[in-house]
Amino acid sequence: MNRTLKQFRRFNPRAYLSLMRSAVMENMQFRMSVLVMLFGNMVYLVVIYNLWKAIYASVDTPVVNGMTFSDTMIYLVLASAQFAFMEAYLVWEMGRGVQDGSIIVQLIKPMSYGTYQLFYILGGNLFYFIVTFIPTFVIVEIITGWVIPVGVNLLYYLISVIFGMMINFAVDYFVGTICLYTQSIWGINIMKQILVTFLSGATVPLAFFPEILYRIVMFLPFHAIYNTPLTLLIHNDLPVAQVGHMLFTQFVWVLVVFVLAKVFWKVSERVITVNGG
Amino acid sequence: MDKSESIIYLKDVMKEFKILNRHEGLKGSFRDMFSRDYKTIKAVNQVSLEIAPGEIVGYLGPNGAGKSTTIKMMTGVLEPTSGEIYVNGKVPYKNREANAQNIGVVFGQRSQLWWALPLVESFKILKDIYRISDKDYKDMLELYGSMIDMSALYSKPVRQMSLGQRTLSDILAAFLHNPAVVFLDEPTIGLDVSMKAKIRNLISSLNQEKNTTVILTTHDMGDVDALCKRIIIIDKGTMLYDNHIENLRSFFGAYRTLKLNLNKRHEEVTEKVQTENLKKVRELLTEKFAQATFTYDTDEEWVSILIDESQVPLMKVLSFLQEQLKIYDVRLEEISTESVIKKIYENNENSEK
Repeated sequence: MNRTLKQFRRFNPRAYLSLMRSAVMENMQFRMSVLVMLFGNMVYLVVIYNLWKAIYASVDTPVVNGMTFSDTMIYLVLASAQFAFMEAYLVWEMGRGVQDGSIIVQLIKPMSYGTYQLFYILGGNLFYFIVTFIPTFVIVEIITGWVIPVGVNLLYYLISVIFGMMINFAVDYFVGTICLYTQSIWGINIMKQILVTFLSGATVPLAFFPEILYRIVMFLPFHAIYNTPLTLLIHNDLPVAQVGHMLFTQFVWVLVVFVLAKVFWKVSERVITVNGG
Repeated sequence: MDKSESIIYLKDVMKEFKILNRHEGLKGSFRDMFSRDYKTIKAVNQVSLEIAPGEIVGYLGPNGAGKSTTIKMMTGVLEPTSGEIYVNGKVPYKNREANAQNIGVVFGQRSQLWWALPLVESFKILKDIYRISDKDYKDMLELYGSMIDMSALYSKPVRQMSLGQRTLSDILAAFLHNPAVVFLDEPTIGLDVSMKAKIRNLISSLNQEKNTTVILTTHDMGDVDALCKRIIIIDKGTMLYDNHIENLRSFFGAYRTLKLNLNKRHEEVTEKVQTENLKKVRELLTEKFAQATFTYDTDEEWVSILIDESQVPLMKVLSFLQEQLKIYDVRLEEISTESVIKKIYENNENSEK
């Protein structure tokens, strides 16, 4: 038999690229949704601008927790732009897949479910990185008069944000797997979104956290999703050793969360295969 | 046949699901949240079958009979509670990804194509996912081109396709990597007559051209008559029939339908007249052939009588009625596959009671 299982090898980079490409192409079909997303983001930014303006007005010093008003704004604007390209709603997708059984479409592919989703989502992330993050970054630079240096920090950011995306994916994949048990999507999705954005420093800069909470947060993987890449982007005065340490920590987190998510999925896969889709 | 010769081999396959006993109302729902009150249902019970390479097998059964569960087990998505399954000599649920390389699946109610992209893009992604060589891919598209008019489909985004075009595309996508087995789950659901014919032709030509084994579940007996030589019927998880389609007709006795037109030509046939005719026929037959049972029906100007010829020959009934009534027209009909299967389902239903 020629069409045997022997041809089958797990590693298939062409398929990975193909999936990323398909996600980029699919997103390009929906131009309106990009505009709507940019608009939603603008509204969010207006809200946080006024909120933080009030916070800074209520204290006497221009520097709070080591950050000026403009430091805080730059950080939060970039964090929201990063959220815009990173959030892929995988929890939502997995939950729906289990509820209506559409997950079977991926399960009958000669590829693991996680790998399939990873590359499909990275493709979407790439697309939104180009259409939302880069323009936002350029606008911030123009408004602030190139306050963020353009140099090696951009390279650090790119490496770090790829790690960040992978941690974000693995967290989603882990939380999405919970949906196999609960069959409830909405609550879990909202809870995950709030916890991750808060604990990662996407809603409030980590510098504003109370000492104890800050220490706890640094023991969790979430800060590596937003805080680490953004810190590497904004601050150009970090010593190379510290940059190396931050990237290494991130990398360790990538491995840890991936292994956890993968193991949890493997165990939970039986829920589908045993109890039906 | 043993398991090395058959492409699909199932032995005593059973699948149980644990289902929570739900309670009524708000209070009941609240109680369900903490309930451990499960009941076990057997979705598939002691199913054994063997399918040879190149066969087209109709897998039939009423809704909820366990067809989809069986297919999910054969695709490796579900693990059987007990029993053996081999597809291409491998246990599907243990080698799901490897098994996926050798099967194709079409769900009539669910597309696996990339919704927003033109069909050709979906094909290109599948080419990479299934590692189809450039040559095989080209040959396959040429083959498709010789079977149907691809130009209308090729560059059309899937979301803009009609249901028929989408199903057609889904079938082409399932055969693209030249799998040894293709599962078609209700491929003609919701399609018009001409599209159904087109899809049946396509399936049949692909099966002949590539010697692909096809497992077809459907509720449309037209599909079965057009495609399958062998059918398997399952209900409530249990296999009721597994044989050649031609043997099916004699399975429940030799049924034939006698249709009589008792009205003058060009005369308007009202429902009342027909009821009257039916009553007359019924009275005559009940009196004459008391030992036999008939099933009566009316169909426009016709009165139809379903006769079991093992009880009384149809010709005897006809000659008797001819003496008693003025008959303007006669038709004889073989019982359709549909009616036989309906009878099989109903018999199973009754035997449960």
